[in-house]
Amino acid sequence: MRLDRLPPATAERYAALECPDFATTPWVEGPPLAQRRVAIVSSAGLVVRGDKVFRGRDADYRTIPAGIAPENLLCSHISINFDRTGFQEDRNVVFPIDRLNELSAEGVIGSVAPTHYSFMGATDPVQMVDGAAEVAAKLKADHVDAVLLTSV
Amino acid sequence: MSALGHYLEEAGIASVAIALIRPQAEHTRPPRALWVPFELGRPIGPPGDAPFQRRVILAALGMLEADNGPVLLQDFADDDPREAPDAAWRPPIPPADGVESLEAGVLADLVDAELRALAPAYAKSCTERARSTVGLLGAPPAAAADYVTAWLRGEQPQSLAADMSPILSLRFAVDDIKAFALEAALAGGGQPSSQQQGDWFWNETATGAAIRRLRRTLLTDEDERAKLIATMFMVPALRIPPGG
Repeated sequence: MRLDRLPPATAERYAALECPDFATTPWVEGPPLAQRRVAIVSSAGLVVRGDKVFRGRDADYRTIPAGIAPENLLCSHISINFDRTGFQEDRNVVFPIDRLNELSAEGVIGSVAPTHYSFMGATDPVQMVDGAAEVAAKLKADHVDAVLLTSV
Repeated sequence: MSALGHYLEEAGIASVAIALIRPQAEHTRPPRALWVPFELGRPIGPPGDAPFQRRVILAALGMLEADNGPVLLQDFADDDPREAPDAAWRPPIPPADGVESLEAGVLADLVDAELRALAPAYAKSCTERARSTVGLLGAPPAAAADYVTAWLRGEQPQSLAADMSPILSLRFAVDDIKAFALEAALAGGGQPSSQQQGDWFWNETATGAAIRRLRRTLLTDEDERAKLIATMFMVPALRIPPGG
């Protein structure tokens, strides 16, 4: 987002959003992209139709199977101040599963993970630590070695 | 989102974040982040433009092969071409003029009629996109519409969802009728910008006017939960007129 195109007060508010401080700078290397298994982790509050929607600044997460039917992916992020029309038109704007499947079929990436994950991005990141640890364990069990984080 | 990058990387999994707000990525310093200039809600860029989306994803995933970290922050230079208006796009129904001053019951009747009028376009749009994002409430769109108009008329209907309070049910019903109308606006394969769709919905529909009216009403409610829903979950900040 180009902040200089927003009303000044709005831009200032976004620029000043509280962020956590981290003392460490972790860094994990891996094989070439063509050998990696990629998963999507989104903060868009995505849910599978019928699952419990995010209702507030929930700290937990939802699982999204790679083969989810397009009509079954919903967005329940609590903020109404970001665009939803892009997602309504094309799920790949937020959850680029079709693009990853294409890249996998072409051999650009090794494979696509069988399961993907979504958090509620408006939640205090400190509250997400346990959920992130659970997701990390599940990703490892699925032999995922690359995560594409998509925020909204 | 940048924080999740830290957590996953600490756990041993390489990650790259697509960041929409650059100052946040600068502050949080995830292991790898690609800043994109797109509007909030569109981290991968333009809907329906697979080649462009592919470039964004490859730019991000390519950072996983860099060996000059930790902490890489790169910029994706190109703007989303879908932020430009589609001059050929036309709203699916004529504008609803002069609705702001109508009595609530009359406005509710107009919303009922408007959403019925949008139903064919919504159905067509669903077929064209092979999907719908309506459904957070777990009730059919018509039921969500009836629920919202009941609140507008001053009734206090029972919740449509067993595990939701009536006011929480209203929040998701409002979400669903907004999605219903905006998805109807996509029928026919037009490529309106989000600004065009928002301008139409909030300035030219009875439904948009009704949601603004409902917001104003609930802001004076004695129930703090109703005030919260009105404040945070009904009308985007940039669509609230001066004076509320």
